[in-house]
Amino acid sequence: MADVPVNFFHRQSHMTDETISTERSRRGFFAGASAQIGLFAIVALLWVIFSTLAPGFTSPINLFGIGRSLAVDIVIGFSQMVVLATGGMNLAVGSIGVCAVMLTGFLLQDAGMPIPVALAGGLLLGGALGWLNGFAIVKTGVNAFIITLASASLFLGAMLILSKAVPYNTLPPEVGQFGRMRIWGYVSPLLFIAIAIGAALYVLYRHTLLGRQILAAGANPRAAEMSGVPVGRVIIISHTLSGLLAATAGIMLVARLGAAMPSVGGEDWLLPSFLGPVLGGTLLAGGSVAVIGTMIGAALVTTIRSGLLVLQVGNFWLQLFLGLILLAAVMADRYRGVFLERRSLGRK
Amino acid sequence: MNSLLRRFLMVEWSGILAAIILGSALLAWLSPAFLTEFNIYVMLRSFCVALLVGFAQMVTLAVGQMNISVGALGGLVAVLAGGMMEKLGVPMILAIPAAIAIGALCGLLNGVLTERTGINGFIITLATASAFTGINLGITQSIPFYNMPPGLVAFGSDRFFAFPYLMIAPIIATILLGLFLSRTVPGRHLLAVGGNPHAAELSGISRGRITILAHTLSGTLAACAAILAVAQLGSAQPTIGSDWLLLSFAAPIIGGAALTGGHVSVLGTTLAVILIALIENGMVLAKVDPYWVQFVLGALILAAVWLNRWRAVKTGTD
Repeated sequence: MADVPVNFFHRQSHMTDETISTERSRRGFFAGASAQIGLFAIVALLWVIFSTLAPGFTSPINLFGIGRSLAVDIVIGFSQMVVLATGGMNLAVGSIGVCAVMLTGFLLQDAGMPIPVALAGGLLLGGALGWLNGFAIVKTGVNAFIITLASASLFLGAMLILSKAVPYNTLPPEVGQFGRMRIWGYVSPLLFIAIAIGAALYVLYRHTLLGRQILAAGANPRAAEMSGVPVGRVIIISHTLSGLLAATAGIMLVARLGAAMPSVGGEDWLLPSFLGPVLGGTLLAGGSVAVIGTMIGAALVTTIRSGLLVLQVGNFWLQLFLGLILLAAVMADRYRGVFLERRSLGRK
Repeated sequence: MNSLLRRFLMVEWSGILAAIILGSALLAWLSPAFLTEFNIYVMLRSFCVALLVGFAQMVTLAVGQMNISVGALGGLVAVLAGGMMEKLGVPMILAIPAAIAIGALCGLLNGVLTERTGINGFIITLATASAFTGINLGITQSIPFYNMPPGLVAFGSDRFFAFPYLMIAPIIATILLGLFLSRTVPGRHLLAVGGNPHAAELSGISRGRITILAHTLSGTLAACAAILAVAQLGSAQPTIGSDWLLLSFAAPIIGGAALTGGHVSVLGTTLAVILIALIENGMVLAKVDPYWVQFVLGALILAAVWLNRWRAVKTGTD
């Protein structure tokens, strides 16, 4: 029992204890699909509204800007999604991201490494820090929330001590050039990277044994353990993947900004990292993921952010909007869940 | 297992107390500035806000909930109190209770949303935290209210030798909270629901009501912490509360609170906050990089959960 993390959310754990993971994930898939169509409609509606109110919204330069930040938001969402799949969470995504940013910056600027080596170094660090999280969670049996809350502070503190919070501003020009590159006039190559990662994750969860094991472990750790899923290992792998994705998002930001800054990431990523997956229909209780949903969820966040900016509503109110949208989304999801449950009971 | 060690291990705050005594002795020996009246005053003053922040999280942990919005709620209350006093000219006597009432209402909102929707408290309070911060920034546009009533500023900075008057508030809060959790029916119910929600419900306790009560209490305590922070800083800064999240969990958890609910310690949390204040003070005296505080706090939480886990296994309560 020691290596199965305590399920933190009593209420939702009742549901997982009684249903079988495969049936559950199938229902989750359908529920997710209807959520995604609704979400997509909202995003489309917002695009119509914003482009009517502010013609500048669909200008090539704004579209390019939206695409660039969307790419980062998607990958941040993925980095949270992969641990939500196991029923855990990772509050350290922002800290891991910024650690990778600063290491990459150091390797490029101070150590004079070639770009591929520096990128690999940053990614490796992200994966290693994620692995540490997973290892600590599985070995202590303490829930992911508190371990990653503590490690977030630990990682961020260590990064600030080592880097003295000095940004790396004179990176090789190729880095910034890649961030400014436009395909067909308004698409950032970063967006393709995000979509490629999404495709890889989709294949992982839909078509591989590991992906199924992760979902099984998230849906019901005890049942998964009994049917031979190495739950502890699966959790460690998921956290490693989360760290790797957080590092990827960080490095994408380096390309976007053309510099490695200690102020990116940290707690700023916390809300966006949950917004994407939760809006997209990933259950916090674990056992289900919505890869496409996470991408649309991130699109909603990016659209609202950019729209408010173009309408000059002021960035200050953005947080309020994001909070209300998250509330509305989880409530809608909750009531849809209740509705589906009633309907399936009625059929029996 | 010899019984003396076993008994010592059972007292969860024993380790913190030992660390505090050892740490103070070490600091007193290494730094002559440590035991000066002014330094003790500075340390006690920084302790005040932190303790209430720790309590604000502790009461939600007691029922097995959590409140991510403590800091955001505190920040909102701070700027509302400041705004009422500076822009609307509301007298301090009215503005402060009104601001604390708003904090309680925000907590109530957290509780009702969590209870009625059945969504876990983490995601609800993450969302409300963002909303509260949004309102805070929307109102202030990030500009603090500087003109606070002199009475409030004096309360935040005056002292009797090394004793800051600010500390009266946390002392009262500690006593009331201790009595509430150990001697009153709702207080016992709070811990009962956290310890075993099913058993509590079967014995006739309304789980929903108690969850809402815990969140309301958490909001109230966070609001009190915010008012103290305004008094201490002498201005209502929109950034008040932005660094409370880690601290709010660090204090009760180092103090031995179980994350699954049902077990919290007022004394343990208090000692943990003293330890944190001591560490921060030691780092200032040693002129260490301020970034170390963050690193050490994270390490301390990890050490505490590890120790709690180890103790649970050793004493066979697991």
